Amino acid sequence: MARPADRFPASTAKSAFPYLLAVAFALTFALSLRAAQVDPRLLFDAQALGNVARFVRGALPPKLDPEFLGMLARPAAETIQISVMGMVIAVLLGAPLGLLATSSLTWRGILHERVTRRARLMLGAAPYGAARALLSVFRSIPEYVWALMFVRAVGLGPFPGVLAIGVAYGGMLGKVYSEILEAVNPRPLETLHAAGAGKAGVVLYGLLPEALPHVVSYTLYRWECAIRASAILGFVGAGGLGQQIELSMRMFQFDEVLTLLAVLLLLVGTVDFISGRIRARVVR
Amino acid sequence: MYELRDVRKVFDDGSVALDGMSLTVGAGEHVAFIGPSGAGKTTLFRILNLTLRPTSGMLRLNGTDVATLSGADLRRARTSIGTIYQQHNLVGRLRVVHNVLAGNLGRWSTLTALGSLLRPRATDEAARALAQVGIPEKLYARTDELSGGQQQRVAIARVLIQDPDVVLADEPVSSVDPTLAVSIVTLLRDISNESRKTLLMNLHSVELALTYFPRILGIREGRVHFDLSPDKVSPEMLEELYAGHGDERGELAALGEGTNSFGKACRPLPGFDR
Repeated sequence: MARPADRFPASTAKSAFPYLLAVAFALTFALSLRAAQVDPRLLFDAQALGNVARFVRGALPPKLDPEFLGMLARPAAETIQISVMGMVIAVLLGAPLGLLATSSLTWRGILHERVTRRARLMLGAAPYGAARALLSVFRSIPEYVWALMFVRAVGLGPFPGVLAIGVAYGGMLGKVYSEILEAVNPRPLETLHAAGAGKAGVVLYGLLPEALPHVVSYTLYRWECAIRASAILGFVGAGGLGQQIELSMRMFQFDEVLTLLAVLLLLVGTVDFISGRIRARVVR
Repeated sequence: MYELRDVRKVFDDGSVALDGMSLTVGAGEHVAFIGPSGAGKTTLFRILNLTLRPTSGMLRLNGTDVATLSGADLRRARTSIGTIYQQHNLVGRLRVVHNVLAGNLGRWSTLTALGSLLRPRATDEAARALAQVGIPEKLYARTDELSGGQQQRVAIARVLIQDPDVVLADEPVSSVDPTLAVSIVTLLRDISNESRKTLLMNLHSVELALTYFPRILGIREGRVHFDLSPDKVSPEMLEELYAGHGDERGELAALGEGTNSFGKACRPLPGFDR
C-alpha cells in the first residue's frame, strides 16, 4: 500500500520539467495558430461584413406570424421528446456500465481485500475493463456521427436522434458516474460489507445515498446538453427544431432562423430552471 | 469463539502488522486489547471480522477454519460478527432508521433491502434498538444532523439489529469526551451481557480497559505481549508495553487515584501514583 507521502515525493532538487512544459506549450500554441488558420482579419473584410449585414437585415424583425409560430409547436415538442427519451436510454446504458466501471466496487480496495488475486482479476477486473472500453467507444464517437449511422439503420425521423443521444450520452454518464462512485468515502461501505451485506446491499445503503446529489446533478446537466444536441441532430435529418433551422437557413429565411433560435433559447432556459429546482431539492 | 494460531499479516508494502499472533477467546468473554498505536490492533480486528485475510497462520471461528469460507458461507459468518469503529461509519445522508436497519443486510434479499429504503420495514424493531441506546426520538432524523456521540449510538443500534454472536469494537470511544466514553463502554458491556455476546474492544485508554474488562491483552509489535486479568497488570508491564511511545506514556502517569481523565468512573490503580 503506497502511503500518500510516497506518491507525492517532496523534491528539493531543481527540476527542468516546468520549463520544458512551458516551451512545449508555447510551441503547441504557435503551431495551432498557424494550422487552424486563425485570421481575425477575415471577420472584418468587406465581403464578410456585407454577409453579416445581409443576415442581420434578413433576420430582423423575426418572423412572428401566428401561422409560422403554430407550425413550430410540433418540432419544439419533438426536440424535448428526443432529449428526454435519449436521456432515458443514456441512463439505462450508463448506470449499469458505470457501476461495472467502478473499481472500488468490482475489484480494488477495501471490499476485495479478502478475495484471492485470481478471482479479483477474473471476476472483477475483466468486466471492469470491458465496461470501461465500451463506455469509451460510446462517448468518443460524437453524437452527430452516431446520428448519421442510426439514420442509415432506422431511417429519418426522431428515433435515430434518440438513439444517438442515448449511446453517446450513455458513455459520458457511465464514465462520470463511475468517477463519482469511486470518490465516495469507503469506510461506511466497509462497515456494511463487514456486517454481511452483499454488493447490492453496499450499493443501496452506502454508495448510492452518498453519491445521489452528484449523480442527479450531473444527469440534469447532461439533459440540458441533450436539448442543444437534439437541435443539432436535426441537421442530419433527425427531426426537431434543428431540421427547421437547417431548412430555413438553406432558404435564406433568416427571420425564421432568429425565431427558431429564440425558441431554442427558451427551451434550454426552461430546462435549466426545472433542473435547478430539482437540484435544490435533492442536493442537501 | 475465536482461535488464532501464529497469525501473520504482511501488507503489500512489506510492513508487518501481525507477527505470529496466537490467542483463544471463549464464547461470552469480554476482552480488552491495549497497546501502542501501530501495534496491529486494528489489523487484528479486521482479520477477526473477516474483511482481511491473514498472510499465514490459522483463524478458527466457532471451530471452522475461516480460510475455507467463501460466498454465502462467508457472508453468513460475517453476519454473526458485529463491528463498531472509531469513526461511526454511517451514511450521513440516510435517515437514522435506514442506518439502523442496515444491520439486516446480511439476511435481507436485494428486493427487501430496496423496498425498505422506500418504505422502512421493521420500524418497531429499529425503534426498540434506538431506545436501548438511549435516543428513541431520533428514528427519522437525518443521520448527519446528529452529534458524534449520538452517531456512535446509532452504530451500536445497528449492531443490535444485526444481533451478532460477537461484537468487535475498534477504538469506539477515541473521538468522544471522557463522560461519553464511559457511558458508551458500559452500554456495550451491558448489551453484550444481556444477550450473552462475546465482546472484544480495542481501547486507547488503559483506565477504561482495566476498570471494565476482566481480561486484558497487551499487544505490541504484532504479538501478544501479555494476557492477564486486570489485577495482575503491573505498572512495569504497562511501561514495557508502551516503551518507545513517549506520547502515550503521559497517560500512564495519570492512572493513579483521582488523576485519571475519567474521574470516579474508573478504578484507581495502586502503584501509579507518582
